[in-house]
Amino acid sequence: MTALVASHLTKVIGDRTIVDEVSFELRPGEVFGFLGPNGAGKTTTIRMLVGLIRPTQGTVTVCGYDLRHQFEQAMRCIGCIVENPDLYRFMSGRENLEHFARMLGVAATEIERVAALVNLAHRLDQRVGTYSLGMRQRLGIAQAMLGNPRVLILDEPANGLDPAGIREIRELLRSLAAERGLAVFVSSHLLAEIELTADRVAIIHKGRILRSGTVRELISSQRMMEIRVGEPERAAAILRDRGVELTVEGDDLLAPIEEAAAPPLIAALAESGIAVFHARSRVHTLEEMFLEATGGESVD
Amino acid sequence: MLIPLLQNESLKLLRRRRFAIVLGIMFVILTLVSYSQYRQLKDQRNQNWRAELQERIARYENQLRRGRMNPSWARSMRAEVQRLQFYLDRGINPEQPTAPLVVRTFANAAGFLLLPLLVAVLGSDIVSAENAEGTDKLLLTRPVRRWKILTSKLLTLWLFASLTLLLGALISYAVTAPVLPAGGWDAPTFNGFQISGEAFKLDAVRQLPLWKDALIAYGLEWYALLAVASISLMLSVIFKSSAASIGTMLASLIGGTILTRISPDWTAGKYLFVSALPLPDYYTGQAPPYDGMSMTFCITLLGVWALGALAIAYGLFTKRDVFG
Repeated sequence: MTALVASHLTKVIGDRTIVDEVSFELRPGEVFGFLGPNGAGKTTTIRMLVGLIRPTQGTVTVCGYDLRHQFEQAMRCIGCIVENPDLYRFMSGRENLEHFARMLGVAATEIERVAALVNLAHRLDQRVGTYSLGMRQRLGIAQAMLGNPRVLILDEPANGLDPAGIREIRELLRSLAAERGLAVFVSSHLLAEIELTADRVAIIHKGRILRSGTVRELISSQRMMEIRVGEPERAAAILRDRGVELTVEGDDLLAPIEEAAAPPLIAALAESGIAVFHARSRVHTLEEMFLEATGGESVD
Repeated sequence: MLIPLLQNESLKLLRRRRFAIVLGIMFVILTLVSYSQYRQLKDQRNQNWRAELQERIARYENQLRRGRMNPSWARSMRAEVQRLQFYLDRGINPEQPTAPLVVRTFANAAGFLLLPLLVAVLGSDIVSAENAEGTDKLLLTRPVRRWKILTSKLLTLWLFASLTLLLGALISYAVTAPVLPAGGWDAPTFNGFQISGEAFKLDAVRQLPLWKDALIAYGLEWYALLAVASISLMLSVIFKSSAASIGTMLASLIGGTILTRISPDWTAGKYLFVSALPLPDYYTGQAPPYDGMSMTFCITLLGVWALGALAIAYGLFTKRDVFG
């Protein structure tokens, strides 16, 4: 059962293709990370998911409803924050929540529930203009949680928050997915953040999805053994004789092998009188993988 | 379904303090009016208005008896005698300012610029402020269709435009009644004088009690303000910044007025909505700036402008892509 299906989403403005055939699906209980540098088409994609921008091609289906033709039913399934958590600054947190609760036709008791969920009950009667960014982010999430949506879509929720705030939001999102079975969609240009928050990731660059999969898959496909030795050229020759593909990086030998395969190779090097200083498994971060996938273009 | 949305929009409009500003402006202006009328009233205390009035009536009646005047002049004079006699019988000085007269005059005096401006202030940022503050992204991602959201904004604007007019009338009475005579709602009024060549055209003259006359003038002004509100809504949809939409409305109101004064020969000017805007003035008898502008023409023209503006507003708002 999928909560949201984006199928072949494409947006063309003039002769520029901003989003090109983007497809993915969100599953209940899972945090989906949408990763890409600024200007990659993340926000345009999100705006298509929530009906702010009409796709040139492709469809969005939410809880089985077509977004374009069954807008009201589809949007009842979604809570979202697009870009900044912009709420009415001249009204209090409670008035903001009441405003959106009236649009949904949900009971006033819901307001207390969602405020408690994001730990904001004590500041609810103050004007939003006096809130810190982290509080507005939380109020935004509270607003998005009104009416018990099944899909939560957040655009760069970590933006502008301090490390404590980022961790707080991360834990909240993880618990919403794990305990309430929400399908959570989070976009970010911060790789480390997505790596910690998401179960599955799609990497978008120049409007196209380059890779997608679970975070673990993407990481394990990038596992490397790093062996530092005294005589790298001679050591490389010995290992190549044993059928290992490797590259030499200064004093380091890099080989895509599992940890279990390492001891006999190290023993062989030692028998040949080569000094082995250390051997360790090096996990590529998403960042390195991202740089590789995008051809070395910087993330920010 | 629309009621909660109306509640939301009214709350936001009130919280943005636009309406408070509008009421404040009206209060200040009307207090000044009240003071000046009070000074005029005090100046008149020193004159023997009864004697003057009797003298005027006698003079007109003499002229009427002598005849030798064209029939339309005679009718006009008879109407005037009737009017003056009415005041004399009731012991009211016709030149004397009264609170009901100030209320009645407010419809005309404020109708051609002040009230449209105030409605523009209310309306011009009703959509653009949501764009500017970024809240449109939340408003439009709730399970409510866009046409319903725009309709709630339009109805809210119409509601507050109506309230502006109503409260304008109430404030003008409230600030003048303590210092001017508060009664006189049934005083006769004569409207519809039209100048045709040298002579008055009197066929169109109507005699009505003041309260009825005031109701008609306010009704016409109300209609004109709903049209202004509709056009403001369109500007607010078109422009992303509140300043741009308020500025455009101001420029068209003032620019249109200047245009009709400077180039009265450019007859296409009669199709501008500002030309038709002062409906109460045209009702009272002021000639519209261009030939062929009957009351029906003006009312139809404003209606067409309002409908056109709403068509553009709905078309844009329901279809457009919302970028950051």
